[in-house]
Amino acid sequence: MESSTGNESQLRERSGAAVIMEALERHGIDTFFGYPGGVVLPLYDEMLNWPHVKHILVRHEQCAAHMADGYARATGRVGVCLATSGPGATNLVTGIANAMMDSIPMVCLTGNVNSWAIGKDAFQETDIQGITIPITKHNYLVTNVDDLPYVLAEAFYLANTGRKGPVLVDIPKDVLQKKTANPFPTEIKRRGYQLPPDPDPAQIAEAVAMIEAAQRPVLIAGAGVMWGEAFAELKTFAETNDIPVINSLLGLGTFPRDHELSLGMMGMHGEATGTLAVQAADLVIGIGARFDDRLTGDTKAFAANAKILHFDLDPAEVGKTVSPRAWVIGDVKATLGEINKLRTAQLSHPEWREQIRTWQAEYPLVVPEGKFLSRTVLRALNAHTNGEAIVATDVGQHQMWTAQFYKFKQPFNWMSSGGLGTMGFGFPAAIGAKFARPDDEVWAVVGDGGFQMTLQELQTAVEYGVNVKIALLNNGYLGMVRQWQELFYDNRYSSVAMGSPDFGKLAEAYGVKFFRCERTEDLDATLEGARAHNGPVLCEFVVEMEENVYPMVPAGGSNSAVIMDPALTHVEPPEDVVASFETTHAPHHIPEPELETAGANQ
Amino acid sequence: MSTAEIVVSQKHIVTALVQNESGTINRVVSLFRRRGFSLASFNAGDCEEPGLSRMTFIVEGDLSVVEQVLKQLIKLIDVVECSALPAESSVSRELALIRVKPTPEQRDSLYKLVLEFYGRTPGAQSDQIVVEYTGSVPEVEDVIHALKPFNIVEIVRTGVVAMSL
Repeated sequence: MESSTGNESQLRERSGAAVIMEALERHGIDTFFGYPGGVVLPLYDEMLNWPHVKHILVRHEQCAAHMADGYARATGRVGVCLATSGPGATNLVTGIANAMMDSIPMVCLTGNVNSWAIGKDAFQETDIQGITIPITKHNYLVTNVDDLPYVLAEAFYLANTGRKGPVLVDIPKDVLQKKTANPFPTEIKRRGYQLPPDPDPAQIAEAVAMIEAAQRPVLIAGAGVMWGEAFAELKTFAETNDIPVINSLLGLGTFPRDHELSLGMMGMHGEATGTLAVQAADLVIGIGARFDDRLTGDTKAFAANAKILHFDLDPAEVGKTVSPRAWVIGDVKATLGEINKLRTAQLSHPEWREQIRTWQAEYPLVVPEGKFLSRTVLRALNAHTNGEAIVATDVGQHQMWTAQFYKFKQPFNWMSSGGLGTMGFGFPAAIGAKFARPDDEVWAVVGDGGFQMTLQELQTAVEYGVNVKIALLNNGYLGMVRQWQELFYDNRYSSVAMGSPDFGKLAEAYGVKFFRCERTEDLDATLEGARAHNGPVLCEFVVEMEENVYPMVPAGGSNSAVIMDPALTHVEPPEDVVASFETTHAPHHIPEPELETAGANQ
Repeated sequence: MSTAEIVVSQKHIVTALVQNESGTINRVVSLFRRRGFSLASFNAGDCEEPGLSRMTFIVEGDLSVVEQVLKQLIKLIDVVECSALPAESSVSRELALIRVKPTPEQRDSLYKLVLEFYGRTPGAQSDQIVVEYTGSVPEVEDVIHALKPFNIVEIVRTGVVAMSL
């Protein structure tokens, strides 16, 4: 903490504002996102001296946070956003909460009123430190400029180590102006903050024994595999041990979707095969996944025939929602690497794989022909971009269909508001991603509801010439809410029909290239036209209004009671998902789904 | 069913060593609130190391709750270490100040009673007497119960502090 870099130039006095810019430069931040205001004027003035650390002026602070989030998800590096005090800071809150739920490395900078005015209800004062305590990994209020170099270095360190997450640094105006000669630390030593331990050999040995004993193993790979950059280890692990790979929503891309072992997403709207496989499995291995409620359904019925093995760097995730038989705490890359060293002989589960192929044949994702559906569009988007674009979504039906139909091959290409479920996330996240990876194709897939929450960033995209494509699936409804009202509230639609502006005129007003597509016949030309244009493009797809997402496990229900797509000829899941399987297990009982409302089994 | 109820009502002592910085207490208490952990008692104070505080929590719940409390607490950057103390190998104490307003006839028996339970009377003003008592939580409860006939006016309790043996 006290150590010096020995660099003379860093020992000269400079303002707190300059310290911030220096910190961004030191951490390789080439682009950050923000919005000015009174108390951060010293920083905006200082910025002019640092042209290589580019500030992107957004149109709403929430989007600065989402852009920083998209920047982080597209690169694995820390995203940075900046807001002024008061409403600027509170506008960040949704974006920070979103990043916290999905463990995204971000440093969020806020200005505050002069330190002597704090607590006096000064103009645009707000207790953003207090407000963000539950939604940050850590936060600071810096009242002494001499602390600023260390705090900023520590903020970046905390954001991007261990279980990643957003860190907020609140800086009063006078601290931006005052000068300090304190250097940046060469090393962060925070007592009580421990990096993930090396995997325990005893835990590894137990895991290996469980894997070798399993007849029907599956693994669930989450976003921890992405942040831990354990893709190669995961692939070796799955192939050597012949284990089908399911992804959590945010884990998509950590295992190539075109791999024969890939089963795609499972859970509430996951593909039926993965959901059924977990119910029939005798071993379920969670890797960097937190077994959230959308994935598990009723936890009492989840993986009822399986031992659960959990690999995670966060001990608090072990046993939080489901009770694993064994676990390995540590970086998943290290854990998988250790297991791969021990488990080199090829395993094979031909009967299990055959069962899975049977389910895949019986319960595929379907896109009924003859209608212009969201699924029609997303299947085509996947085909046109060969599953290789960066794709960002909001939350809702379009998100689930993207997760189902976009076949991600690589990590860091998928950004979706998984935990918080934030409408309006996709478009600004896509902008952030495009700034981070300007050479890659970036699509925002959004609905008419979510897009209207953050579409003011069209101006940001235009001003900076951000070549991001928007696939707007306009069904005139808040689709997922409508689906629930149809299924669980007896078709009583309440505040879900939603009008929209003339998106063509809107695009024209912003100066954005626009395509409107209402029929399958025009789909290819629309996608080709959008991809060929160099600059922001808004594609409005006027799709079927009342299309439902299937498969579906009603909230809190058992995954065994997954509701299949009515378009399938056989819409009931197998009575007993392991009935066709000879097993050494005792006969078991899969509980009835605990549905609170009628109509769920339509 | 009754077993489950007994388990749920269990109380556990958790202590944490924390860095004493802006927002620390807020952050720790916020964790209990937002995760729905039941906090029966909370105490924080200086400890043997400058800049650090030691906190004692009484947590209600079964063992899996205590395990989650510990795992979530240690994730807080301010928390240096934390642990659950086994009741049989730790000492826990609470200090209570109890203001009573005995009748003139009761005063002698009040002082006698306080002597019997090794309490103290650090101060008195006109007709009111402050009784000080330190003991385990059940002992404090017993003392409060015993003082009821003397017209209790005000009670202040510190919450439990605890240490392993």
